[in-house]
This record gives sequence, structure tokens and C-alpha cells, in this order.
Amino acid sequence: MLKYVTKRVVAAILTLFALVTIVFFLVRLMPGDPFTSAKLTKEVAANMNAYYGFDKPLIQQYFTYMGNLLHGNFGYSMKYTNKTVNYIIGQTFPFSADLGIRALVLAVSLGLVLGIIAARNRGKKLDFFCVLIAIIGTSIPDFIMGALLQYFFGIKWGLLPVAKYLGFEYTILPACALAFYTLASVSRIMRASMLEVTSQDYIKTARSKGLSELRITGKHQIRNAIMPVMTMMGPTVASVLTGTFVIEAIFAIPGMGKYYVESVNNNDYAMILGMTVFYGFFLVLCNLIVDILYGVADPRVRIGKR
Amino acid sequence: MKKRVLAAVLSMAMVAALATGCSTPSAGGSGDSGDGSGEKVFRYAVNTEPTTLDPTKGQSIGDNEIQHAVTEGLTRTTAGEVNPGVAEEWEISEDGLTYTFHLREDAKWSDGEPITAADYEYSWKRLVNPETASPYAFIGDYLKNGYAIETGTMDVDELGVKAVDDTTLEVTLENPTPYFLSLIGSSGQYAPLRQDIVEEYGTDFAATADKNVYSGPFKMTKSENNEWYFEKNENYWDADSIKLDRCELSYVEKPDTQLSMYEAGDLDYVQVPTAYVPDYEDTAEKFMNGNVDFCYINSQSDNVVLQNKNFRLALNYALDRNSYNELANTGIYEPMNKLVFPGLQAKGSTYGEVYDVESYPLDGDQDKAMEYLNAAMSELGIANASDIEVELTTTDAESSKKIAEVIQELLQSALGIKVNIRQVTYAEIYGTVFPEHDFEIGYGGWGADYDDPYSYLELFKGDSSYNYSQYVNPEVDELLKASQTETDTDARMDMLNQVEQILLDDGAFIPLQARNIFYLIDDDVTGVNFYYCSLNIDWVYADITE
Repeated sequence: MLKYVTKRVVAAILTLFALVTIVFFLVRLMPGDPFTSAKLTKEVAANMNAYYGFDKPLIQQYFTYMGNLLHGNFGYSMKYTNKTVNYIIGQTFPFSADLGIRALVLAVSLGLVLGIIAARNRGKKLDFFCVLIAIIGTSIPDFIMGALLQYFFGIKWGLLPVAKYLGFEYTILPACALAFYTLASVSRIMRASMLEVTSQDYIKTARSKGLSELRITGKHQIRNAIMPVMTMMGPTVASVLTGTFVIEAIFAIPGMGKYYVESVNNNDYAMILGMTVFYGFFLVLCNLIVDILYGVADPRVRIGKR
Repeated sequence: MKKRVLAAVLSMAMVAALATGCSTPSAGGSGDSGDGSGEKVFRYAVNTEPTTLDPTKGQSIGDNEIQHAVTEGLTRTTAGEVNPGVAEEWEISEDGLTYTFHLREDAKWSDGEPITAADYEYSWKRLVNPETASPYAFIGDYLKNGYAIETGTMDVDELGVKAVDDTTLEVTLENPTPYFLSLIGSSGQYAPLRQDIVEEYGTDFAATADKNVYSGPFKMTKSENNEWYFEKNENYWDADSIKLDRCELSYVEKPDTQLSMYEAGDLDYVQVPTAYVPDYEDTAEKFMNGNVDFCYINSQSDNVVLQNKNFRLALNYALDRNSYNELANTGIYEPMNKLVFPGLQAKGSTYGEVYDVESYPLDGDQDKAMEYLNAAMSELGIANASDIEVELTTTDAESSKKIAEVIQELLQSALGIKVNIRQVTYAEIYGTVFPEHDFEIGYGGWGADYDDPYSYLELFKGDSSYNYSQYVNPEVDELLKASQTETDTDARMDMLNQVEQILLDDGAFIPLQARNIFYLIDDDVTGVNFYYCSLNIDWVYADITE
């Protein structure tokens, strides 16, 4: 187990290293540079390039960057002068993560329940209801869901705050809007996988042993059916926790989401790299945790025996 | 049985969701406006995040709007009117080159230290110093040797600014600049700075609200989580004129969300997103932000038709700008047939009032357009108009695409030529396309940094780095040059007007529109001013009446 984890960690570090290197050189191929605006003169742009060290050979810049990165230093944003990328991530990540955790708890718990109920009532009205929710959830884009929730609960009925993130009541609408898609996919996958498991021999055995339905579902079906859901959780957790551009924009939440899109639009090299490395790190970490959890949930995949 | 299980599981899920809800990361904000507590609070939002809180490095309208509230220049420009700031009075030499400012003795920083002439000298030198790498360094070019220092050919000590003693500042300019007093009263880059504070924090200077001290009517007390708070600065020399206790600025990216927040009572002022303007026709007020939009014509383009003056005039006469404005902007902007924003100050009135520039009719003139087109075709030896193709470059922003499509349609149907649209990113258009003249016709625009026609006309000065059109006309260059040394302000203004007229006669560009900004403001808010260069909203003198 330890050996396996070590191997995975080394692989993860190499992946990150490759990621940084590729992105570092790729961003330089983008048209334009970080200092493009209608008012900027050539002379001033030259001063700014020198200030950020862009007048040095690219390979030297690369080693400088990697050196700083080893110390966990992402450098200064070129768009938000005087602010480091570390500072911006440190400020915005807690909000994105907070919202993400709420949405995930909501999505996974409700999604699993809906999936299980649907599977247990296959073909009945309850199943139809659950499937309907899943279809709505996957087909309505989050910006429409967010805007609808905001309009009805925030403006029309005045029940909840319209935007910002200042306390519990502020978190409800964005968390629901963000949760909806994940909830729908979790319930769909759970339903399908529950149904698949139902026809397995061990379920028949359990039934012939005379176990109660509750026990069969709880102990045998769910535990086996949950594997595909766990597989999708790695990337889902990483992307939901590190901020979502659309929901954060609609509800004016000071999260990380916008910097992914904006940094690319602005050619803010340090910011693009910082965001990529941070997200990459998170994704690799989440996948690693999922891999380890496989073994916990299903003895057959227990790692030592591979 | 099943139902009970369902209920139990559902409620568990709820509890789990609620349990994680106990500790939101603290944004610090109270969320209420202070209504009822007797505090006067003004709340508004912007949809572009301020890029910096360092006065020297500000580069956007939003950056400068913040500096206007937290810094005090030698003068203070409010809605175009220049009033004394930290300088109580000043003398200007006959030749208009030397300004001697006398600073008031009671002017203090927010930490109680006196504001001295040296604070201005330090700040202005920092602005043009290449090591500072301020994106707006060029605004220091008015000062003697500013440009030479900025480009590294002269030492920073040679800058035309000198603190004679604590309360006397002597400023030497490169050229007599009639708008200098207005400029320094509205540009954060000319604010004073405290050397000890800048040096104490180094590269972290002004990174957050607490890493600076403030000379203006307000001091910044918060700069986190997309919120900026400004509290009245009790040390401000003119604190009696300041009515607000606090201003709360939020960055809310989506204009729709801002509008929702205003509707829900969370904001006191909001700009109406262009798409919603027709819905708020009765309640919205408007101001002009000084931005004019037009198409650059690359006059040295490989496409020879664009080198032809008659063809450029044909384009200009063919465009029905009223229809254009309806189709492209749902009629909310002002169709425009000239270059200089008409609201600028000139001869004690506005430029638009004083000068009646002769230009293409707003409805277009089909006959004249065909006349010019035919003349151009015979000069160029082109038999059919349909053989002429021009390319219109625009950014991929939705609004710009729409504008380009409307121009394409109107020009094609009026002249029978072919107009192709090319889309590039914003970074490309100002990074390579315009500076490297890699376009035929390009959709762009301009907003003035100072209250003077020169700001717009400079775009067509032969050696200007903003001369994307590669327009070279010795007559224009001469007049612009002469205008810089002319000390008679009225004669100077006439020269500038002459330049605009030449540009229009030459068909040097295709004017399109001047922008209106529609906004909603709470009835109990008074004293908010609007301006058309370097800043838009000025809430320094705002008041909340009950």
C-alpha cells in the first residue's frame, strides 16, 4: 500500500512538472502579451517588460520561474499590480472551496438518495420523478439555473439575498445552483449502477438467505453500486472546489472561478500558470484519494493484492 | 415504511448540508447599508475589478475613481471644474511653462503627518522612473524631461518638479499646457505619495488598504473579497464638505446581477446594462462618459482603395449613422460624425457648443457617396464596385461583433462593395493588429485622459504611437505642434478645431458614436457627479438625505 501510494505521488509530481513546463511555453505562444491596452505606449511597455524580466532569454525566465515555484512562490500578477498570485489564490480559494463543499454535500447526498430510490422503484412514479429531476439537472445549464433561482428567491419573493457571500443565507442559492448538475449526474449514475447490481448473483443469494430488503439495499447493493460514483468524484471535487466561473459571477462571490478565464484573456502569464498548477495539484490529489478509497469500499480492489 | 425511510434520509441530507453551513469564510461585510444607524453610506458596484490601489500604477477608469476619493492632488477637479486641493493658490509664468504652487499648511495625511511639497516631488519622480514601470508613465510627459526620463535617456533628478520648501512646489512643463490644472486634479498618478510608506512596504506597497496612508477626503479601510470600503478621513483639510460616513464599493462582474442587487435594495447606484435600457427609459438618467467609437482606416494599407481619399469619403457619406445606431446599439448611444467628444471644455463653454464642424450628415448622403465612389473608381481604374473588397477588423466581444455586422450590411447595401469581417481577441487588436498596422479598417474607440481635444486628435499625429491609421498629413502635424506652444488658449483651440476639420475632409476615419451611460440612483442620494475623462462617477461630495 505504502509503496503504491509513493509511486502515485512520484507520478503526480512528474505530471505537475510536465504540466508547468508545457503551460509555461504554451502561454508565450498566445497572441499579444500581458501589457496590451489602448493607451500603452511602446516605451512604457518596454519598461514594464523589463520590470517583469521578460527581456531576459526565455529559458532563463523558465528556470527563474521553476526556482520560485519550488519555494511555493507563483510570482506577481501582471494585471493586478502589487498583488501576488499566492495572495489572490489565498483570498479567493476559501470562498470557492466553501461554496464547493456545500454544493458537494448537497449534491452527493441527495443524488445518491434519488438514485437509490429510483432504482428501488424502477418503472414506478417515484422512479419517473427522480429521472425527471436528473434530466432537468443535466439539461439546464447552471447559468440559467442560477439566474432563475436568483430571480425567484432573491427578487420576486425576496426570501434570500440576491448576491454576495456574507453569511449562511447567502450561500443557499449559489450552493443549490452549483449542486444541481452534480446531483443529477450522481443520481443517474447511481440509479444505473444500482440496477446493474440488482441482477447480480450475490443479491439473489442474499434474498434467498431471507435478509430484509433494507439490509440487502444497504449492505450489498449500495456498497457495490457506489464505485462508479466514486470514480467521477475525483475530477468533480477538484473542479467544484476550485471555483466555478459562472455561478460565482452570477452571485458575485469573490471566488477563484473568474481568474481561470480572465487570466487567459489578459495574457497574465503568472496568473495562468498559478491557476493551472493549483488546479492541477488539486486534481491529482483528488484522484489519488479516490484511488485509495476504492480499496476501502471494495475489498476486491484492495491495492496490496494488485 | 418506504416513505419513512425516504423522509429520514432526506432530512439527514438537509442536516448535513446545513451543518457545513455554520462557518462561512468571513467577508467582514455587514451586508446592511447602515440604514437606521444614522450613518450615511453610499453603495455601488463596478463590473471591472480595479487593477491596483497604487496611485502611480493606476491604468483604468476604475483605478482612478478610487484614487480620486482617497488622494488629494494639488487641485481637485469636480465634474470638470478645477478647485484648489492641497494647493491653496498658484502662479503661472507668462510663457505658461512654470507653475508655482503654494500648499496649505493644514493639509494632513490620514495618519496625521503634514502633506508637503516633497510628497508631490517624490510621487511624480516615481511615476516617470522607468524602474517603477507604471503603465501610465506617459501621463508624466507634460513635466519637463518626463519623456526623456521615462525612456531612460535622462536621470530622474532632471524632472521639472522641485519642492522649494515644505509648502512651495515649483513645476516646469515641457510645453504650456492649458489643461494642466484640470489634469492634475483628476489623475491619480499626480497624487502625493509618502516616501517612507512606499519604501517601508516595497513591492507590497498599496497591495491592500492597510499598506498605504491617504491624503484624500476618504481613507480606504477594506480591500478584500471584492469589496472596498472608504471611511471619511477626519484629517482631510476640507472634511466639512464631506457628507458621507462611508462608501462601499463592490466588484460585481455581471451587470445583470448588479441590477438585481439594486432592485433588491443592496445598491444605491447602478449602471443599467445596455440590453435593459429600454425597460428603464422612464426611471434611468444618463451621462456621457467621453468615449467615442470609430473605425480606423489604415491609410497606408496594402489595399489601395483605402489610400484613396475619395473612397474613404464614399465610406463616410454612405453610412447612415442614425440607422446604424438603432441597429447596432438599440439607439442608446449618440450617433456621431466627428472625432472630438463635444462635451469637452472650450472657451468657457463646451467644444460642441463653440464649434460647428462641417461633416457627413448623420443620415448619410447616398448621392454624394456614389459621386465619391465613382470618382475613386475612375482614379483607380476599377470598373465595378463589386470588385472592391475591404476587411473590417473587430474584437470578438459580442457588442463589437454586432457593430461590425451592422457596418458591413449598411456599407455593402449603400455602395455595392464587399466588406469582410475579421475577428481577433482584445489582446491581439491592441497587442499587434493596431500597433503593427495589420488591418484595413478597424473598429476601435478612445476616451480622453484630459479635458482637451488634443487627446483625441493626437491619434492622427504622424509620429504618435497611437497613430494606428498611419495617417500622415504635414498640415495636421504642424498645427498640432503649434498648438503645443501656443499660449493664447482661444487661438490654440481654433487650431485644434482646424485639425478636426482637416481629418473629416480627408475621410481619415469613420466616426460612429459617442457613448451614453444610463444609470439608476436612489432618490435619497444627492451630490454624485459625473465626468468624461479619466473617471466617470465621482461620489466624493455625495450625501444621503433622509
